Amino acid sequence: MSDFQELVKSFSKTREYVRDFFVYGFKTRNEFKAKSPRTYDNERRRLESWLAPFVRKDYVSKGSNLSLAIDSNLLDTNPLFQVWKTKSFTDNDIVLHFLILDLLWNGRSLTVEEITDHLLTQYETLFDIQTVRRKCNAYAREGILEKTRLGKRAIFSLDNRLVLWLKSHENALDALAFYQMAGCLGIVGNLLTDQLDYHNQTFRVKHSFFVHTLEEEILLELLSAMNHKKSVILTIKSSKRELTSTTNCVPLQIFISTRSGRRFLCAYAERSRRFTCFRLDTIKSVISLEASQVYEELLEKLNRNRRYLWGVSFEGPERHHLDRLTMTLLVQEPAEHYIVDRLQHEGRGGTVTKIAENKYQYEIEVFDCNEMLPWVRTFTGRIISLECTAKSVEQRFYQDLQKMYQMYQIDEYNLSD
Amino acid sequence: MELFSETYSCYYQVLHHLLYRQTPLTIEDIRQEICREGFEESLISIIPKLENGVWNLFEKDGSIYRSKLNSSFSMPLSDLEKSYLKALLSDPRIGLFLEQKQLESLNKMLASSVPLWKQEHFCYYDRFTDGDPYTDKTYRSNFRTLLLAQKQKRYVDIDYTSPRGTRVHHHYVPARLEYSVKNDKFRLLALKQAGHGRMKLETLNLSRMQRVILTDKFLTSPVDLNTMIQNSYYTDPLRLHIINKRNALERAMLHFANFEKNTTKIDESTYECLIYYNRNMETELLIEVMSFGPMLKVMGNDRFLRSLKARLQSQRDIVSCQQK
Repeated sequence: MSDFQELVKSFSKTREYVRDFFVYGFKTRNEFKAKSPRTYDNERRRLESWLAPFVRKDYVSKGSNLSLAIDSNLLDTNPLFQVWKTKSFTDNDIVLHFLILDLLWNGRSLTVEEITDHLLTQYETLFDIQTVRRKCNAYAREGILEKTRLGKRAIFSLDNRLVLWLKSHENALDALAFYQMAGCLGIVGNLLTDQLDYHNQTFRVKHSFFVHTLEEEILLELLSAMNHKKSVILTIKSSKRELTSTTNCVPLQIFISTRSGRRFLCAYAERSRRFTCFRLDTIKSVISLEASQVYEELLEKLNRNRRYLWGVSFEGPERHHLDRLTMTLLVQEPAEHYIVDRLQHEGRGGTVTKIAENKYQYEIEVFDCNEMLPWVRTFTGRIISLECTAKSVEQRFYQDLQKMYQMYQIDEYNLSD
Repeated sequence: MELFSETYSCYYQVLHHLLYRQTPLTIEDIRQEICREGFEESLISIIPKLENGVWNLFEKDGSIYRSKLNSSFSMPLSDLEKSYLKALLSDPRIGLFLEQKQLESLNKMLASSVPLWKQEHFCYYDRFTDGDPYTDKTYRSNFRTLLLAQKQKRYVDIDYTSPRGTRVHHHYVPARLEYSVKNDKFRLLALKQAGHGRMKLETLNLSRMQRVILTDKFLTSPVDLNTMIQNSYYTDPLRLHIINKRNALERAMLHFANFEKNTTKIDESTYECLIYYNRNMETELLIEVMSFGPMLKVMGNDRFLRSLKARLQSQRDIVSCQQK
């Protein structure tokens, strides 16, 4: 492994490996069947290098397991942000980066020819003009440098007011320290805090799902398409069947689950002419197309439909348009009034009615009641009855309960109170 | 707007710190900086480039390295970063940090940037609806006082309404401000004297704080917050068996991803997952485990198993009662 490189050119392969290690941190070398052993060894070595403090090795009979031991309760940042800081570069890239920024920092505006001259006279480094031009143009495209025209000449300069303003306002730095942990695209906030040499020692985030940072590049492309109201072509790799497919759609909104951290693109799929949600971690690439002529119309239609969405599914198991779920709960008042609060705060618009002493009824109409079952189960121990117009949902709830009674040997008629 | 870019790379960051110092460095100083900020194997890539002068950024004077740079610059913000900042200005929580005048200054500097997203681009479909009142004056003032006290390790006098409705007030040192994405609420992880020079950790909801007053007293002895949190975990973790049907394995792995956990395969379709937790997390964890239904089987610890069985027993009893 003498040719081992710690940095990488492309993020997509890395994204899959890190996700596998993070999510399935119990696979041995032999179990990563999709890749060659040598690729596995190199990827594993990189991962160990990038995330060293969080890598745990467990020795099992079939080899050693590598996993990431990450407890979000103990961390001031997301350790997986490191993965975004691994892009490889050339020797010219790094030298030009520092010298050009140093040269322009104090407010000078220079042409490429002048910059090239200064690099030689001021720093004793020789570069050809084309290399310097490419770097300056690339930095102008990224917004790091400003490019203006004076007649036929292109002049490059650097605006440092914003970075100096941020550095001198501690409350702005605190805001960045918070958002890098708690907000959308936290990686960008983290890059900023790195750049400004400010490290979070104040905030922690509960219910933070670190692994989803791996989808941020895809999210960026989707947001850009949404900002420009454009259609896109998505390449999707099914997580269950490992099949890759493409789909044309109009991206409308990002749905996020705070309970699982999962993020979905809600889009209008052109072929099926339906709203559909795609998990961000299954989207491998996004290609922007032209602006959609009916974007606003679709968005309005989605907004009208959203009140009937429980999660991300627009169709239930029995293909009714809408299904109604009614749950009756036993709530010992006043001690258990927090259960009523839960129904109100977590019930996504369902109605909550007191129907008798210590009895409350929750009712809602949604596209897919199947999606409600995980939430419904959290009231186990208080559910007097559950009725649903999608009978399969009702059956599944009671069948699952029976299975659990068997699993834990819960006897009938053992009335404890 | 590139996110995976070398300008944000760890190596650039390490080099920036070395060049920024503007003091002569020995190779040992450089090594230490790389070990502190680089990846595990960065030394073997960076050191040769500096020693052989390929990265011609230092003047070498014998064994001493001097930065060739004249200024202590910071990299200007890229368009990606400016657009990110612009999007944050529309977030309801930004007012906890910035004054109106500061928001206006930032807005002015970012006039030509397009926000990376708009609030309406995101829908947190299962977020609780009783989030904290971020625009409330008292709330904002309490937040800022706690932020200041946390940085200065200073005691604050907190007047608090407990969940039972009683008013209490105690002196605490703010250790961390904890935000819950699910609840859309801030909680304070606070240190309180427990007698005999010991400190204990308590969690307080910011929205229940009536008043927060800075005191003149500072925390003088160091406290290791993470050790305190880890010591609060039960020694016997939650032991789950995951039956890999209906994609339960992946769902469970992602769902419990924010806990310290360890998973092993025990047969073709069953996996064992150990989850470490403390008393404060217990009820929430129980609820999360119940949400999976029979796809997860709790094997231990006894305490957790008892709680789960009690819930199931109540459930069976309620249904039996109704049938009678």
